[in-house]
Amino acid sequence: MSDRTPPLARGPVAVDPGVVRDGWEVDARVATGPLTLSDESPLAKVHVRAPFDGASPAALGVGFGRAARADLGTGDVLVVGSGPGEWLVLGAPNTAGALRAAIEERLAGTGEFTTVLDLTHGRALLRLTGRDAATVLAAVCAIDLSDTVTPDGTALRSSLAAVVTDLVRDDQDQTASYLLHVERSSGQYLADALLDAGAPSRLEITGFRGLS
Amino acid sequence: MSLLPLSRGTRGTRAIPDSARLGPQPGEVIDRGRSVPFTWNGAAHSAHPGDTIASALAAAGVRVFSRSYKYHRPRGLLTADYLDPGAFLQVGDEPNVRGAHRLVEPGMEVSSQNTWPSLRFDVKAVNQLAGRFLATGFYYKTFIKPEPLWPLYEKVLRRFVHAGTITPEVGAAYYDHRYAHPDVVVAGGGPAGMAAALAAARGGASVMLVEENHHLGGHLRYGDTADLAALAELRAQVAGQPGIEVLTDSVVTGRFDDNWIPVVQRGLPGVTERLIKARAKTLIVAPGLIERPYVFAGNDLPGVMLSTAVRRLINLYAVKPGQRAVVLTANPDGDAAVADLARAGVEIAAVLDPRRGDGVRAAHGHGGLRAVETGTGQRIEADLLVTATGWTAPTSLLNQSGDRPIYDPAAARFLPDPRRMPDNVLAAGGIVGDGTTAQLVEHAEAVGREAARRATSGPTPVSVPELKPAAHPELFSAGTGGFVDFCEDVSAKDITTAVAEGYDSVELVKRYTTVTMGPTQGKLETVNAVALVAAATGKSIAETGTTTWRPVYSPVTLGALAGRPHEPVRHSPMQPWHQRHGATPLVAGQWIRPEHYGDPAAEVRAVRGGVGIIDVTPIGKLDLQGPDVPQLLNLLYVNKWSKLPIGRVRYGVMCAEDGVVLDDGVTGRLGEHHYLMSTTSSGAATVWEWVENWLQTAHPDWRVHVTPVTTAYASINIAGPRSRDLLSRLTDVDLSSDGFGYMNVRRGTVAGVAECVLWRIGFTGELSYEIHVPASYGLHVWEQLMASGADLGVAPFGVEAQRILRLEKGHVIVGQDTDGLTQGFTAGLDGLIKLDKTDFVGLPELRWQHQRDEHPHLVGLRPLDGSVVPPEASQILDRSGGIAGRVTSSRMSPTLGRAIGLAQIDRDLAAVGTHVTVRLPDGRDITAEITDAVHVDPEGERQRV
Repeated sequence: MSDRTPPLARGPVAVDPGVVRDGWEVDARVATGPLTLSDESPLAKVHVRAPFDGASPAALGVGFGRAARADLGTGDVLVVGSGPGEWLVLGAPNTAGALRAAIEERLAGTGEFTTVLDLTHGRALLRLTGRDAATVLAAVCAIDLSDTVTPDGTALRSSLAAVVTDLVRDDQDQTASYLLHVERSSGQYLADALLDAGAPSRLEITGFRGLS
Repeated sequence: MSLLPLSRGTRGTRAIPDSARLGPQPGEVIDRGRSVPFTWNGAAHSAHPGDTIASALAAAGVRVFSRSYKYHRPRGLLTADYLDPGAFLQVGDEPNVRGAHRLVEPGMEVSSQNTWPSLRFDVKAVNQLAGRFLATGFYYKTFIKPEPLWPLYEKVLRRFVHAGTITPEVGAAYYDHRYAHPDVVVAGGGPAGMAAALAAARGGASVMLVEENHHLGGHLRYGDTADLAALAELRAQVAGQPGIEVLTDSVVTGRFDDNWIPVVQRGLPGVTERLIKARAKTLIVAPGLIERPYVFAGNDLPGVMLSTAVRRLINLYAVKPGQRAVVLTANPDGDAAVADLARAGVEIAAVLDPRRGDGVRAAHGHGGLRAVETGTGQRIEADLLVTATGWTAPTSLLNQSGDRPIYDPAAARFLPDPRRMPDNVLAAGGIVGDGTTAQLVEHAEAVGREAARRATSGPTPVSVPELKPAAHPELFSAGTGGFVDFCEDVSAKDITTAVAEGYDSVELVKRYTTVTMGPTQGKLETVNAVALVAAATGKSIAETGTTTWRPVYSPVTLGALAGRPHEPVRHSPMQPWHQRHGATPLVAGQWIRPEHYGDPAAEVRAVRGGVGIIDVTPIGKLDLQGPDVPQLLNLLYVNKWSKLPIGRVRYGVMCAEDGVVLDDGVTGRLGEHHYLMSTTSSGAATVWEWVENWLQTAHPDWRVHVTPVTTAYASINIAGPRSRDLLSRLTDVDLSSDGFGYMNVRRGTVAGVAECVLWRIGFTGELSYEIHVPASYGLHVWEQLMASGADLGVAPFGVEAQRILRLEKGHVIVGQDTDGLTQGFTAGLDGLIKLDKTDFVGLPELRWQHQRDEHPHLVGLRPLDGSVVPPEASQILDRSGGIAGRVTSSRMSPTLGRAIGLAQIDRDLAAVGTHVTVRLPDGRDITAEITDAVHVDPEGERQRV
């Protein structure tokens, strides 16, 4: 066996130009406007299945339809109640293994049948941020994204531009921000659809931002 | 007085010595400082920004804008607004443009529709001479027999269709869709609509205010000084009020359950139309009133207008609508029109007031109004007859909400019935009643507050003041004939004829005569039609009732409904490499895959002779975890799974309950309770749903978690006799035949990437490894394989080469070699199906199929002439010439140098060595021999090394 080149991880959205950070090729662009789209796929993505009405929701700290920051033993993560008996935990890049182990340990105490799976590479994760973010999404999503119906910390699954998407409202610095989580193979398509919908609002690509 | 001759409506326009443009008017919406060039039927014209097409042409003296639907009678302006039935025009390649609403844009090419050779002299106007034979029901009665001639009738009738022309070319602008969730939608931006929107917004509601005109204001826009002052105040308040989204040039096209409200918006840059799908908590219907035409002989002559039309022309566009006018006025708005006309310099020949017993019997002229015959028979020369004979409340949106309007004879109009309106729908303004601007605003403000309260679940209902309709004489028809429906050319006589023929219900009359079925959709015509039916049947208008107002409120383009469809596509992580290396893309479902890189046959030879790699990422992959996975596999697959050891892979086929083959793939056991299942690419979603369905409905007690991981892995198949050599350079997994045998699975590192899953399986019939790499590293591993295998001659191969390779090996593709009727034994799964299992999905049907033993068989097929490749789906004939089967797969084999195939065929022709006849699509018959399904390496020596 010969390893000639160190492995390079790439997100689902084409970069122009790219720069390598922590073993990931990410977009080097830095947006100057107030409405941005970034590919956050390098974030660790750990998928959890457990009984929705058992002890696991308490162990994870979040129920169905909500998202919250937490520390499950690997630092700051975002725990998303993405479906009934289904969670997605987002953490810093390259922490999926540790995060998965920490979650398994935490859930082991419940005695429930659970599955913890690293889906970092199987999902695309986009972040749409800006005051007009909801306006952009209104072109591709039928959900009411007003503050009263989908406030910060809301998690839901819906169709965005005909692609099944987990949508998480995760405001940043009191500015509306949405994490959009889809099958990796649909990542480029969804990014293109959002850029098209956001063109009138001057949506710009910006580089990887990270969780915080 | 000099009457304007008809001929000045077309190319003679520029010869008109005196323009009809007036001096500046207080409420005018045109920008006199600039000019906009456009053409009308080929002649150059000029407008001011703010002009509609119709106002610009009217300012130039044009009086005839179109020819009517059936009789091709010349038609002029009637309402001078969105509804005007006389001004449907062709603009560029866009037909049926509302010329009295659409603003002139630089370079517009405007023309009349369905006129030949010209608008001025239209040959089809000969229909007027045959009018007595074109009465209502003419088409039904005339063209029903002889039936065989209908295709000819249809061809001729299509030439008379009153519509413009379209182009198949796609322009730069597009049709858009958007979703919205306002608390309150206000349909109508007149004084009531604005006041209601303001009050609702001040009550904490988010408001969408929708107005069909280009500016807010309703009738205030063409009103007097006080109206304009009130308008300015309301507009300023709306502009300064947060929480109101104003949509002008937009129409609420319907109201559906739970206040699903489609709004068509125009006037957006780069967007032809946008369909907004709004879900409102409360809907306020505030469309105002629509002035109703009067039915009398000659009422469609150019020069006969409604009072609101002349007021719009004068006050909004500074256009003098005529030279000498007769005004029939039965209400204050008609009286105001008299004042406007006088101020505009129009000679008032007579004011006829039905409130004093005056009337109009007929309008006379040929191609345009020349004289008015009064109720007393007096003949007055005039080129303009203005009527103000009543109002129609456009209750469409309320009717669509469940309301049924009630006729009020004192007000001579139908009114909404508040008792039948749902809680989330309210009405405001003229549609409810009449009053001064202050009274309308007061009423609407209360409605707006109540709408906000209902939308936000406020505690105390708002008291809404009463808004009573004003008294108005009932004026519908002079009894002298004339047109009821200007869009459809339906006359008063047509209505009475229909009733006489037995169509005594207004709904039947509507369908028989097509009255109210034109583009104005009854807004101008319904009440008059009802009144005529009532008169003909001897019933009251209330007893007669109205037709049903259904969505849409106004015609909607197909483009607006369609929008831009979202068509998702999926890419593998290696897609950039495929593109860089000239792969021909293949659309496979949503996936974009490389079909080949230039020469599929060469790719086959590369695999057979050395090593090739193919991107098989779309293969469906399900992660199965839990102690009950073996039970699940035993239930869903036709073969046995209880004893699959860790590290082994097994091929399986799923059948539906009817025994029909559903999908196939391999499943590997990665750990004690951990399995990885593969499916066909096209069946990935179906199988996931299938598995979850059985788990959740039939066996919720089983401890199994299923997670789709299709795109979690980039999947690469390395195939060919040198595949072991290649992969061994990049992995820490022992690839020896003893260490990693056929149908085994391993986990390890490939090209420095950990957590890879390696299967040793062989779809191509060669020694091959299918590696599943964490997807983010897919491109890295692919590039490493290509680089490391350069000296081995590694070549990428696409889907086409893979199809050939598997056909040579006789491997079935579910969905190609099977269809929706192919049960398990037909697919050649005899050795796989375990009828001795206790249970599995499809077992009873497969047992029965096995017992009957009369099913078709899947066989190999070779044309005797090996150069002929029968197209797939070619039919196989039995000895009597009947259909005995079909070719399911067929290719030229680069390995064998001849055509090979698979076929489904009746059992009595399925024996190896049988010669059969294959009928090609071009009608030729060829002879082929039935063979074993495996064409290359039937012993499997190439893949078990």
